[in-house]
Amino acid sequence: MRKDSGGPPIRRLLVANRGEIAVRIMRTCRDLGIETVAVYSDADVDAAHVHAADAAVRIGPAPAAASYLRADAIVAAALETGAAAIHPGYGFLSERGAFARATTDAGLVFIGPSAEAVEALGDKLAARRTARDAGVPVVPGTFEAASVDRPDALDAVVADAEGVGFPLLVKAAAGGGGRGMRRVSKVDELPAALAAGAAEAAAAFGDGAVYLERELRPARHIEVQLLGDAAGEIVALGERDCSIQRRHQKLVEESPAPSLTRGERETLHALAVKAARAARLFNAATAEFLFDAERRFWFLEVNARLQVEHGVTELVTDLDLVAEQLWIAAGEPLSDEVRRAATMAAEPSRHALEIRLSAEDPSREFAPAPGRIGVWVMPAGPGVRVDTAVAAGERIAPHYDPLIAKVMTVGPDRPGAIDRMRRALDEIVITGIQTTLPFDRAVVRDPAFLEADLSTDYVAERWDPTASRSVALSRAQGAAAQAFTTAGNSPSVGGASEASLHKDGQTGSTGWARAAREDMIDRWPR
Amino acid sequence: MTSPAARRPVRLAEASGGGRPGDAIVDVTPDGIPAGAVIGAVGAPDSAGRRFIEVVVDGWRFELLAEDAARAALRERATSTRGDEIPGGGPLEIRAIIPGRVIAVAVGPEDSVAAGDALLVVEAMKMQNELRAPRAGTVARVLVGAGSTVEVGDVLVVLG
Repeated sequence: MRKDSGGPPIRRLLVANRGEIAVRIMRTCRDLGIETVAVYSDADVDAAHVHAADAAVRIGPAPAAASYLRADAIVAAALETGAAAIHPGYGFLSERGAFARATTDAGLVFIGPSAEAVEALGDKLAARRTARDAGVPVVPGTFEAASVDRPDALDAVVADAEGVGFPLLVKAAAGGGGRGMRRVSKVDELPAALAAGAAEAAAAFGDGAVYLERELRPARHIEVQLLGDAAGEIVALGERDCSIQRRHQKLVEESPAPSLTRGERETLHALAVKAARAARLFNAATAEFLFDAERRFWFLEVNARLQVEHGVTELVTDLDLVAEQLWIAAGEPLSDEVRRAATMAAEPSRHALEIRLSAEDPSREFAPAPGRIGVWVMPAGPGVRVDTAVAAGERIAPHYDPLIAKVMTVGPDRPGAIDRMRRALDEIVITGIQTTLPFDRAVVRDPAFLEADLSTDYVAERWDPTASRSVALSRAQGAAAQAFTTAGNSPSVGGASEASLHKDGQTGSTGWARAAREDMIDRWPR
Repeated sequence: MTSPAARRPVRLAEASGGGRPGDAIVDVTPDGIPAGAVIGAVGAPDSAGRRFIEVVVDGWRFELLAEDAARAALRERATSTRGDEIPGGGPLEIRAIIPGRVIAVAVGPEDSVAAGDALLVVEAMKMQNELRAPRAGTVARVLVGAGSTVEVGDVLVVLG
């Protein structure tokens, strides 16, 4: 590949993740000539990431806590299969300092920042202090954990809350994805919110520390992609606007952020680099900011890992961020391509969008809608990229994230990228499960979105599923009546039985699939 | 185009929505499946000749129970003469609407609950979903405990 040294940066890599991100990382490994090792739970015996890898190791039963969150089992799998490095992907163990440390202690390379930096930034409070001390404006709030265990300390928390101002958010220091987060509009709601936030954080992250942060509204969520090498050079590769969210989970992302001036872009990128430098970050990371109605940027947090939405930046910059991560982890300085992309970051010449297609019901406040997929047709064509790891007939298990595909488009400008997204979404056909597709199609037709009138309140303000769903229902009734009449006296059609329509059974493939898997592991040269 | 005499109206109830408002009686026309509608699965007919039909339109997925409208009318007349099948203050089964794992149960048998009271929490896809009582009543039975794995449609709690 690119580097003059000849061989790939790493000979064999274990990917400590599942789903589309594991498959996406393995694709780059194939490009670079790196052998890959997958890990899998019992629910994923036949999953795409297992098939994509050169070898696979079972690490435990379906629940994440017993499999994908088991650092010891994953490090052991790497050692057993002769992998030289571990890529954590996003989620799961990617932001656990202890996992990065266990990896390096075992003599393996961790694809990401140092364990110290992951630890420092994984604690949102430490990140807030670091950014503040570096002179980066931080969202107003507290900088130490609130004491929730001692009732006598509540007065101090109430005083802090009054200083921060209402409405405010109780947030988990170890948090992410909105878990452990509670909105507090007045002081009497505070004790219950602290208790609930701390309990949810303790359950989700094993750490119940919470703090207070003012709720900035209206605001846009804008983040900066960073890449740094071991020598300490850090560059910004442009920003992404991720304002359209529900329950603090992103639904739509785009790069560049619409309507920023060149000057604002340069300011934002400089703030992000400053925060990253203060945290001694290297490899890939993202600094997240809120952009308020007065056009000010406020530091939120740093994610010391590859983001779900990194592909948007790849489409704009033409870089492969995973490949860059691997070269950096192998000790290489930032590549010429990365430096060139960084110089163009304030004036990008392309625009890219990503829509996260999830197994969720947008008519029931995006409630999870797991089940078995029937028909599965994904878009293709000019300017379209789809990152997914599911296929027709596959079961979307309730154990993991509901994300089923990331649909990305790129164009010369924002309208061009949106036109392609509209076309791409119209090509999608999925049966068997409810997905976010109705919402996604509505977004790319919504005048407010087309005018880039974005805010983190977008879903609450703009999404009303009722009319769209009832129009679809009457058409569906017409179609069903037709299908009923056509079916006549014939038995079930399309391979479905009533049981599979109603209640998802067990996958029938586990026995032979597991045998095949074990056979495959046995064949692996040790 | 109007349908020829051989065509018969079909009654459609929305199985997934659980509500009467979704019901419709549709005259089948020979125009074929409307553009943009995708028929997913068509279930086998039950003893009454009804079929579940999955349709996706504009990304919305529906499970519809299709039945010959004339047969539906006959069946309903038969059941209503039997009298006491009309739901009133009888027991109410609270069923799982998503598959997942029960992580907490807030009520026990003979507890009185008000409408909106939390009954239990089901975790699925990293989200905790609280199930609340749709009406006031006394808990007759609790069929799951913390740690139970539940599938869609499983009865969780029965309210008296």
